[in-house]
Amino acid sequence: MNTTMNDNKTISSIPVIAASYLGPALVPNQDVAWDEAALPLNPDDLVQKIMGQPMRRAGRFIKLVCCGALTCFQSVPKETLQGKKVGIFLATGLGNIDEILPFITQVFKHDGGFPSPNQFANSVSNAAAFFLARVCEVKGVVLTISQEELSFESALWLAQSYLAAGEIDLALVGGCDVFTPTIDDYHERMNLQPGSYRAAPMGEGSSWLLLGGNGEKKIGDILSVELSSSLTDIKKVSSDDLLKQCEGLAAGLLPQSEDQKISCLLLPGFRLSGIDEAWGDKSGWDIDDYLPHCGISSTASAYGLARALLSRKSTLIVHCNYHATGRQALVTAITA
Amino acid sequence: MNRGDIYIRGWGAVTTLGWSASESAHHLIAGDVHKAGVCLSSHLTNRDFKAFEVAYDGNPLDKSLKMLDASITEAFERAGLSASEIAESALLVGTTGGIFIRNEFEFTESVRQNPGKESPPIACRNRGPGEVADMIAQKYGIRGLPLTFSMACVSSSNALVVAAQLLSQKKIKRAIVIGFEPLLNLTLQGFASLLLYDSEQCRPFCNMRSGMQIGEAASCVILEEGASLGGGKNKFLFSGGYLFNDNSSLTSAGTDGELVKNVVLQTLDKAGIAPEGIVAVKAHGTGTRDNDLSEGRGLAKVFGEKLPPVISIKGAIGHCLGAAGTVETALWLSCLEEGTIPCSFGFTEVDPEIGFAPSQVNLPARDGAYLFTFFGFGGTCTSYVITKNP
Repeated sequence: MNTTMNDNKTISSIPVIAASYLGPALVPNQDVAWDEAALPLNPDDLVQKIMGQPMRRAGRFIKLVCCGALTCFQSVPKETLQGKKVGIFLATGLGNIDEILPFITQVFKHDGGFPSPNQFANSVSNAAAFFLARVCEVKGVVLTISQEELSFESALWLAQSYLAAGEIDLALVGGCDVFTPTIDDYHERMNLQPGSYRAAPMGEGSSWLLLGGNGEKKIGDILSVELSSSLTDIKKVSSDDLLKQCEGLAAGLLPQSEDQKISCLLLPGFRLSGIDEAWGDKSGWDIDDYLPHCGISSTASAYGLARALLSRKSTLIVHCNYHATGRQALVTAITA
Repeated sequence: MNRGDIYIRGWGAVTTLGWSASESAHHLIAGDVHKAGVCLSSHLTNRDFKAFEVAYDGNPLDKSLKMLDASITEAFERAGLSASEIAESALLVGTTGGIFIRNEFEFTESVRQNPGKESPPIACRNRGPGEVADMIAQKYGIRGLPLTFSMACVSSSNALVVAAQLLSQKKIKRAIVIGFEPLLNLTLQGFASLLLYDSEQCRPFCNMRSGMQIGEAASCVILEEGASLGGGKNKFLFSGGYLFNDNSSLTSAGTDGELVKNVVLQTLDKAGIAPEGIVAVKAHGTGTRDNDLSEGRGLAKVFGEKLPPVISIKGAIGHCLGAAGTVETALWLSCLEEGTIPCSFGFTEVDPEIGFAPSQVNLPARDGAYLFTFFGFGGTCTSYVITKNP
């Protein structure tokens, strides 16, 4: 691990051992077309395929958390995990609303009748992390973290801190959000005001990274996670300023001798407008607009990062995200 | 987390006992404690459940936000934080419901204002647990890292341990740690569906206990690294903490006490304190059969014949769920400041399977280390040690 700074900006480079991404089409690690109007799709076939058995009592959120994370976790050899202290950092912006809403509807409908205890148990905020810890046979640090649209970046930052402190050997870090019953509700819950986000369908997903280890057989490194303390007017974010920021990051992170061998890729989050292929042509950076593949969700950044880490070679990746208040989150990674 | 110079600079709390930690402690020490009662808040649809409600003449959404403000203001004033110190602080929040009360309040108001009409489906408009931190950060100008833990009953106790971890690593300069849990139909009905209520009284560690009773609270604890605060503000050292997730059971910490024993021993090791160095234990003590058996047996295994006084505050303020960590810490610190270890309420008879009684009288709070334990849904365990006048 290479520590470069020591505050809540840049921290350390951490090997990425494995990654997985799952979007609304519910096909792991593939871009598959889907229709916003048809959401949510039934996850039971996916559960059967990945878990090897149905999860009859679990709700959608728990199923997606487990399927997404297991896709990542099971892609590494068992010996990589043997004897290792693994920490789980589950990020979610909106949480397990698929369990909460039916339960509270039942409560109000029956005026305090007999709502399902199982549904309540599954509606508790950290139930998904518990089930995931159980299927992964992980004990120890298991945290459920929520910070609206910066939930995944916050969890990633915290996982880095725990790895750096030696509290854990490996960190399974992921983001999961599920679709809210109506698009209008989803817009409101995501705090999507006109002009504060890019035009894209509403989405959902569960995408994960396995971090840590000694760097053997890694697919890349997370170089930095930077959560700014200043607030920017998102509508005034200029593409030129962003380019300067990206170039500054690249200059600081890439050894000069390797500059020519590594391509640079920007992943724009859903609050960031005006970053398109023309910007890419002008700047010399590639743009990977992953949003049409996963849709808007609080933890869409997990999808974008995992997808880029799996699909690109020798690439410096910068993911730029903004919270509605204008707090910026920058994640940089480099692929092997 | 490991030992460091992490001090508690300020705290505040609103509980059923009062609109500040000081007022709550005053009532607790004086024994001015009432049993849980039928809830009066307009958004609560079932009047059969008894809970520890914060008295307020007004709508429940306003009340919950005022509770939050009152606890933060008390903590800031106690800490003497300047505007720039507030701005540079990290903000860690522990909550399960977040501002879900807004959904419940708006729905019940809509139904009440449209008598005779069919109820609309309840909408979910809150923006997830992280909304609380966003709201607080904007109101108080906090620019440091916001981080929300939504982990049932250990939400805010986990936030305290993580904050201390980040402070010891010097990743953050100061942590404002919040616990927030208004009364909700969701949780009141939920725990009822699990048959976890004691309909008469919350009776931690008592042989007559038959369940928990929920309380509501807002609370704030401010942690800071470094002993240079001066002005008598170094009275309480956060000596060490430990968090652990067991994956054996969703709802129980294992009634043989082994898990609790291991968590407490790890905590003491992190704090560098031997069991005999603990002055008293602020236990989780929910009043449920399983929790108190797990915890009682675990504490007995750690301390043996030298068990220090064990106290659960939940007989006086109820189980404040995600806020339990910070609210019980804030209330406890205010009691210690008054020189008193409060007694445990609701106890009448020793459970032979546990083998000890929680402390039944107020005791003088001498200097030294105090152990805090919390156990929650999903196999979550959190524990820490706070030392008075280190």
